[in-house]
Amino acid sequence: LVLVRSPLPRLRALLQRCWGRLERGLWPDIFGGQSPPWGPALAVQGPAFLPQGINDAGKSSSEVPSLLESILWMAAPKKRRTIEVNRCRRRHPNKLIEIKRNIDVCPECGNLKQKHVLCGYCYAKVKAETRLIRMEIRKKEGGPFNAPTVETVVLYEGEKPTEKDEGKRIIERARKRPSWFVQN
Amino acid sequence: SGAAWARSLLSWARPERWLASGSLFPLSCIHTSTSLQRIGKWEKKNRIVYPPQLPGEPRRPAEIYHCRREIKYSNDKMWYLAKLIKGMSIDQALAQLEFSDKKGAKVIKEVLLEAQEMAVRKHNVEFKSNLHIAESLTGRGRYVKRIRCHGKGMFGIMKISRCHYFVKLVEGPPPPPEPPRTGFDQAKEYVQQLRNRTLVHTL
Repeated sequence: LVLVRSPLPRLRALLQRCWGRLERGLWPDIFGGQSPPWGPALAVQGPAFLPQGINDAGKSSSEVPSLLESILWMAAPKKRRTIEVNRCRRRHPNKLIEIKRNIDVCPECGNLKQKHVLCGYCYAKVKAETRLIRMEIRKKEGGPFNAPTVETVVLYEGEKPTEKDEGKRIIERARKRPSWFVQN
Repeated sequence: SGAAWARSLLSWARPERWLASGSLFPLSCIHTSTSLQRIGKWEKKNRIVYPPQLPGEPRRPAEIYHCRREIKYSNDKMWYLAKLIKGMSIDQALAQLEFSDKKGAKVIKEVLLEAQEMAVRKHNVEFKSNLHIAESLTGRGRYVKRIRCHGKGMFGIMKISRCHYFVKLVEGPPPPPEPPRTGFDQAKEYVQQLRNRTLVHTL
């Protein structure tokens, strides 16, 4: 068994003690007369103002809360929220999931797709084929920094390079040309 | 029709149908929950067998119960997905779940596909699209408490929550949504309540 201590109660108790001491020092009459009102033990000629009067006048004009004061007035729940109240909040229509009305059918493969997004199945298909082409390129280049300065053409089984593909690099793929990969 | 009504009422309480093994050896039909842990109530709902329907009765739609236990997801978060697909047709539900970003959406989609396949193979459903979701519920699974470390040597206790998901598919198109209650309906009901009052202790 282990105890969990959060720092807040200790800090709060410490500040309350400090604040109590301050209050007792500055306003002894408010505290209730338990400590005798203290005065200077030695009458010294000093400034002709009392610290109390100035403090009262100062406090009434400008109420600037310091960090010590504002920390004791933090927001905290007063009562436990009942399950009925919690349910009203959690099940409110703005918290429920909205149904999406932008789902269509892909004309190529027939899977579902969102209107503004590429079809996932077709994208995966193209990605797999691209990966195989890239592997062929890697085999041909044989290492990093060997990319040629000319264009690349991908030819499938039974295809010959045309006169347009004169100076280009040719990558062979050992399969039939897929229907979606249109030849130029 | 009275006999048929009585039979249909007691159809759920047919003891010979509840026993998995044959009725020849009654002593061996006692189930002990040793392996496969406890078979939950939702799984047992698939085992009820109704008596054959009479020729004049309307066709009883097929009901398929399926569930998945101890999904590593929060019960509250799963509830939102269950509420989303309540009352939808199975195709619409699968479409919504496919494009939902939640972790539980993937799990519920698998459960629905499993249930659809079960329906076609075992429960004599003709068209796999002709199903709708009659009930979709979540339940609380087993929680485990763990320590979560904060700064300054402080720690909190976090709970690792799991949930169950239950779904009931019924054959047929989804029922039309209920029209929202208008003020006119509420007023009519109020007037009817006033009219139903009777005078007591009078002549």
